[in-house]
Amino acid sequence: MRSETPVNQWEFSAYQVSLQPIAQVHQMQMRAWRNQPEIRQQMLDTALISEEQQLAWFKKASYDPKQLHWIVQFRDRLIGVTNVKSLEMGKSAAQASVLEPGLYIGDHTYQNNIIAFAPSLAMYDFCFAHFRVQQFRAVVKSSNTQAMKYNEKLGYQIISQGDVCVLELNYNQYTEQTAILRQLLSRERKATNVKR
Amino acid sequence: MDNQQKLQQAFTVALGVQPDAVTDSLQYNTIPEWDSTAHMILIAELENVFDVMLDTDDIIDMSSVKQAKVILQKYDINFA
Repeated sequence: MRSETPVNQWEFSAYQVSLQPIAQVHQMQMRAWRNQPEIRQQMLDTALISEEQQLAWFKKASYDPKQLHWIVQFRDRLIGVTNVKSLEMGKSAAQASVLEPGLYIGDHTYQNNIIAFAPSLAMYDFCFAHFRVQQFRAVVKSSNTQAMKYNEKLGYQIISQGDVCVLELNYNQYTEQTAILRQLLSRERKATNVKR
Repeated sequence: MDNQQKLQQAFTVALGVQPDAVTDSLQYNTIPEWDSTAHMILIAELENVFDVMLDTDDIIDMSSVKQAKVILQKYDINFA
């Protein structure tokens, strides 16, 4: 399953962040983030990525309909990367009913900040609205307590536990669990400050 | 109750921590009690206590007790 043209043509903004399809110009930044020890150690594949490997991965991923990757921008800064992958044989990410999400916030400034939820909220809203996804399924190392908590805040339920945990999320769980968070992150900017 | 005491009380109520834990250096996500859920409760508590409506930029930037004071000063809430 390979496309003749780059597959990800979708870009969107919500919750104060913009998600744009990854481009070659982003690859060195993405590699630097991905190779940070604190990010690498939470990946299922912890190996360091070389420049050649990064570019080869980008060229392959860009034409693979089963995966979509976005670079995340907040206040004119690139802060991380998010993605979805189809978990169904022969179905593109846009057609699959089950998607596996991925996210890392590479910019240290925003790793421990509530804005770290914004890329996921923007991406999930978009996917539920425009794709055929019915369910997200996340695979997380059980030692990655931060990611486990993060996913639970989005409404994920733990399906299986072990060294690697599987968590699932449907639309109703997502919308119910994130209602207040989405409201807080989508208030008008520069609103009238004083209520009275 | 002065604004410093109101702020301290808002944090203790929202995060469920002891008053002496509410120092300027306390930061979001550095203690289990101040996670994203508590952050939302904290925002609601601060808005209620100080009668303000924070905008999203301020909700995002409120990453410590010290920063909360800086932000609230923009809303004419002063800390001596």
